[in-house]
Amino acid sequence: MKRRTMLVGIVTMVASVFSAPAMAAFPEKPVTVICPWAPGGGTDVLLRALSKEAEKFLGQSINVVNQTGGAGAIGHNAIRAAKPDGYTVGMITFELNSLPPQGLVPFTWKDFDPMMRINSDPAALTVKKDAPYNTVRGFVDYAKAHPQEITIGNSAPGSVWHIAAGLVAEKTGIQIKHVPFDGAAPAVTSLVGGHLTGVAVSVAEVRGQVQAGNLKILGVMSADRDKIFPEVPTFKEQGVDVQFYTWRGLGLPKGVPPAVKAKLTDAFKKAMDTPSFKELAAKASLNLAYQDSAEFSKFLDQNYKDVEAVMKGLGLAKK
Amino acid sequence: MDFDFGLLYHSFGNVMLDWHVMLMIFIGVTGGITIGALPGLTATMGVALLVPFTFGRPPVESLGMLLGIYCGGMYGGSISAILIRTPGTPAAAATVLEGYPMGQRGEAGRALAMALFASFTGGMIGALIMTFLSPYVAGVALEFSYVEYFALALFGLSVIISISGTSIIKGVMAGLFGLLLSTIGMDPISGFPRFIYGQMDLMEGPAFIPTLIGLFAVAELFSNIEKMGVTEKIQAKIGQYLPSWADIKTSMPNILKSSLIGTTVGAIPGAGGDIAAFVSYAEAKRSSNHPEKFGTGLVEGVAATESANNACSGGAMIPLLSLGVPGDSVTAVLLGAFIVQGLQPGPLLYKEHMDVVYNVFAAMIVANVAMLIVGAVGVRFFARVIGMQKEILIPVIFILSLCGSYAMRQNVFDIYLTIGFGVVGYIMQRYHYPLSPILLALILGPMAEANLRRSMVVSGGDWHILFSRPIAVGLMILGVAFMVASVFNHKRIEKRLAEARLSGSEGTTE
Repeated sequence: MKRRTMLVGIVTMVASVFSAPAMAAFPEKPVTVICPWAPGGGTDVLLRALSKEAEKFLGQSINVVNQTGGAGAIGHNAIRAAKPDGYTVGMITFELNSLPPQGLVPFTWKDFDPMMRINSDPAALTVKKDAPYNTVRGFVDYAKAHPQEITIGNSAPGSVWHIAAGLVAEKTGIQIKHVPFDGAAPAVTSLVGGHLTGVAVSVAEVRGQVQAGNLKILGVMSADRDKIFPEVPTFKEQGVDVQFYTWRGLGLPKGVPPAVKAKLTDAFKKAMDTPSFKELAAKASLNLAYQDSAEFSKFLDQNYKDVEAVMKGLGLAKK
Repeated sequence: MDFDFGLLYHSFGNVMLDWHVMLMIFIGVTGGITIGALPGLTATMGVALLVPFTFGRPPVESLGMLLGIYCGGMYGGSISAILIRTPGTPAAAATVLEGYPMGQRGEAGRALAMALFASFTGGMIGALIMTFLSPYVAGVALEFSYVEYFALALFGLSVIISISGTSIIKGVMAGLFGLLLSTIGMDPISGFPRFIYGQMDLMEGPAFIPTLIGLFAVAELFSNIEKMGVTEKIQAKIGQYLPSWADIKTSMPNILKSSLIGTTVGAIPGAGGDIAAFVSYAEAKRSSNHPEKFGTGLVEGVAATESANNACSGGAMIPLLSLGVPGDSVTAVLLGAFIVQGLQPGPLLYKEHMDVVYNVFAAMIVANVAMLIVGAVGVRFFARVIGMQKEILIPVIFILSLCGSYAMRQNVFDIYLTIGFGVVGYIMQRYHYPLSPILLALILGPMAEANLRRSMVVSGGDWHILFSRPIAVGLMILGVAFMVASVFNHKRIEKRLAEARLSGSEGTTE
């Protein structure tokens, strides 16, 4: 199967080189990739690097277009509404599963054709270096003793890290004041300045300040320990069974012909496996976690249910 | 942390003796000025779009180019502000106030030259403060919690009186209109969508750049069309590309003061060149001994705003380099560029990659010099725009404006938004409502609201928290004082204008 796809790919490339018009094989023209987030952001940088690599395997140029706004709603909507001919691909992100429960968008992941998952990064609980606790348990005990004092910063209302903090509070029975910021960076700065108790953002977003000795990570909300900070135990190891990840992947509008989808998947998968892309992901401390279309769909289904349940508990879902 | 002059000297060598690096800086500056001058294309966008091209390049080269765009873009915004009343970047919005009347008087060359000189001086002062005082200034960023940000936004809003023009009431009305507009979109704390009527495109409020282009550029085009054939073509005096000694002498105190304001505002994360320029403008007007002339095209007004927004760049680099916290939207993108290079800005950068830090210092200073050179060559060409036939110029600007507003988010909705705000701006201008207070309110409204709400979340609804921190209280007192002073100043201006009218055609009295 795979070999055949590759063969078709080679034939296509050869054909396009000799520009044989008789064989109308995909892709005949540049492919557009929609990024629902602003240029220069984490998602954008990742997508541009991936697309640059994928061009070689697709044999066509790939243009990244940023359709931003509405907390990702506009870009996702544009991907969904694109012509299903394979010439428009999109980056889909966690917000695809958190916007629908809030009643902010009239679609769910089921209106997309998930192509592949690219990365998945767990939330981490990070506090000031001089905080009087070093473990998740210690933090929970402290929070129970000081119920009105705990403020946890996150990157936006209803964002992945808001939900993660809510999940921790729900599982441990502590009271938290959620303080949404405009992105993770100002929340982390506020924590370094001592204006918050903690933040529940990803490891990548606190890495610099942790390495500089200003902050410490109490635990990561993943199945396995983090690669950069292997000394930090997971929440589960510390007796709090919470796992929560953000994710990014590629998606198509519904109705793209399977052969075209296979070609795109193949090119982007190969791009993911190139050393230069892997190096970039490592520098940005992104946890690459490929899943194929079927696995990704299953993952999205479960993730959607989890997110919706937590958001209902937090009072963030539309009633 | 001792300053290492040897390393700085060495870094200058790295930057200036490598023609690759110099070429990248000059390309960056030229590209930056162009991007900055085009409405809708901001320095942020320029840097963001070029970051991917720097992937495989050595750090000095790519950072040199990006810093070049940053500096050039900040100056470039003033070109279109002066010539066509369209701030090319939000930071140049305050430059319109004095720059455009100057251009209409035929002094576009003089205004552009001053904008360039002020941008250069401000940029240099910002870069020098960054080079020598970074570790000391960086702490300011950490002192700012939600309470201080709320107070800062209030202080900023007090400037509205100074930019109200002839009527305080109309200025305040415009400001309140802007504040109302800023409530459109998702609630910053609960995420609830407000006043969007099911329009997904409005979820983040009316997009800032299209609003800016509509209110200024498109509104001005409408009134130009109205006047077409009636007014004479402006006879522009060009050929000047550096400001006269007299202009420099009158503007120098303002340039120095504004550069300090700009660097400080820049060093506070989340507050950028737009706020710095407006605050500096208001301060220049307050401290002037002929405040009644502000708004009529005063060269020191251009000097104040342009030195402030360029000084801001140096200021914004301070928290980026020493704390890993971007000071404004451009440095937020630069943070990504650093990470792609495998460099994590922040305290560790100072410990492990001191050479990179010093290279950035050197590149920033060189980029400012490059901006002066490229700008001086360009001024005479830019200034010609103003003498062009209106029949040709108007459609060109119109198309550029619409492209610019579309390019921001690649969203057709924003084009309609721009035209809509063009109509609003035209009507407001017709009835002498100032437009800048709307912008200031759109910038500061969300900042004030979100941070007030954050303070309330943290305190559990206890208002005392707002008065619990010295910096915040200081800023609020300063804001009130500024407002009272501006009102008195306005009374004085009105009196002088009345006197001037009485004394007839002799002009304004000193």
